[in-house]
Amino acid sequence: MFSLFYGLWNYMFSKTEFHVLILGVDKAGKTTLLEKLKSLYSNLEGLPPDRIVPTVGLNIGRVEASNAKLVFWDLGGQIGLRTIWEKYYEEAHAIVYVIDAGCSSSFEDSKSALGKVLRHEDLQGAPLLILANKQDLPGAVSTEELVRYLDLKELNERLYMFEAVSAYNGTGIKFAIDWLVDVMERSKRTEMLRVRAGVTGHV
Amino acid sequence: MGILFTRMFSSLFGNREARILVLGLDNAGKTTILYRLQMGEVVSTIPTIGFNVETVQYNNIKFQVWDLGGQTSIRPYWRCYFPNTQAVIYVVDSSDTDRLVTAKDEFHAILEEEELKGAVVLVFANKQDLPGALDDAAITEALELHKIKSRQWAIFKTSAIKGEGLFEGLDWLSNTLKPGGG
Repeated sequence: MFSLFYGLWNYMFSKTEFHVLILGVDKAGKTTLLEKLKSLYSNLEGLPPDRIVPTVGLNIGRVEASNAKLVFWDLGGQIGLRTIWEKYYEEAHAIVYVIDAGCSSSFEDSKSALGKVLRHEDLQGAPLLILANKQDLPGAVSTEELVRYLDLKELNERLYMFEAVSAYNGTGIKFAIDWLVDVMERSKRTEMLRVRAGVTGHV
Repeated sequence: MGILFTRMFSSLFGNREARILVLGLDNAGKTTILYRLQMGEVVSTIPTIGFNVETVQYNNIKFQVWDLGGQTSIRPYWRCYFPNTQAVIYVVDSSDTDRLVTAKDEFHAILEEEELKGAVVLVFANKQDLPGALDDAAITEALELHKIKSRQWAIFKTSAIKGEGLFEGLDWLSNTLKPGGG
């Protein structure tokens, strides 16, 4: 009886847990972003940027932001490791795609990797946040320039936003995350994932 | 009182301890890795029946490393060592392609253990010095590492004989086990 009420209580009041994938090519600043998110939104101290090494696997950050529970999955971006990205697509509510705006030589690679992400059917309808990262660097391009450069054809109906940020000093991150939580809360994909979780029996 | 001071001292100076289990099939190279980490040399080993345990001091962390024998008959005893473990180092012989499926099955069985729920996972794709050794991406695929979604993991190409990749792995561990790093 108790568990029944507990279940009902949970059903009515618990916050949905959103899974957010952080993707991007190597050296874009994904893990630095993750550590910044940890220090901005939880009382944990994130790793300082100089201690971050290239990711060969999965880093996880659990935080509460804008009154929602967020689980960030940060995956390694080196070419050989990108094959595992798609294994995480099915359960992701949204994608954060990080680009090093200060390194124009990486744009081509970023563009093609992002195109591949967006064409994948397991990510249908997942909101997309594209971060023009490293705005603390003098040569960083603006979001407008990045939009022009990427010239994305695969966006269709997808909710998306470009935002200029610095994972190093935190500029722009809160604004971007607020947007992300807002669109995830009303996206059809969230509804779809919720239904599917209900069917298979776990949240 | 003495304990209190010790605790304060170690929390002030960041000397933390971590209990690490080194697991993997027999002949993966677990014991060679343990002694390479501890003494910096290659020792000749015989199949471990039981366990070896050594302390490795690295990056202000005292790693208490348990190397458990990997033969089929003694794998059931691994679980006796699971409580209070912060990390599992899973060692794979990257050249032993015939047994990768077994390595994968054992690996996922370990991950399901309740007592290891909180442990982070470091995979060593070992024996990279041997011809025909699969690389990290191929081992990731073979072990189905992508099925891990609720804990941090990393994979490193290692050669215990040459001493390559091992300390990169410990670097990752010390970052990840740092309070707030996990």
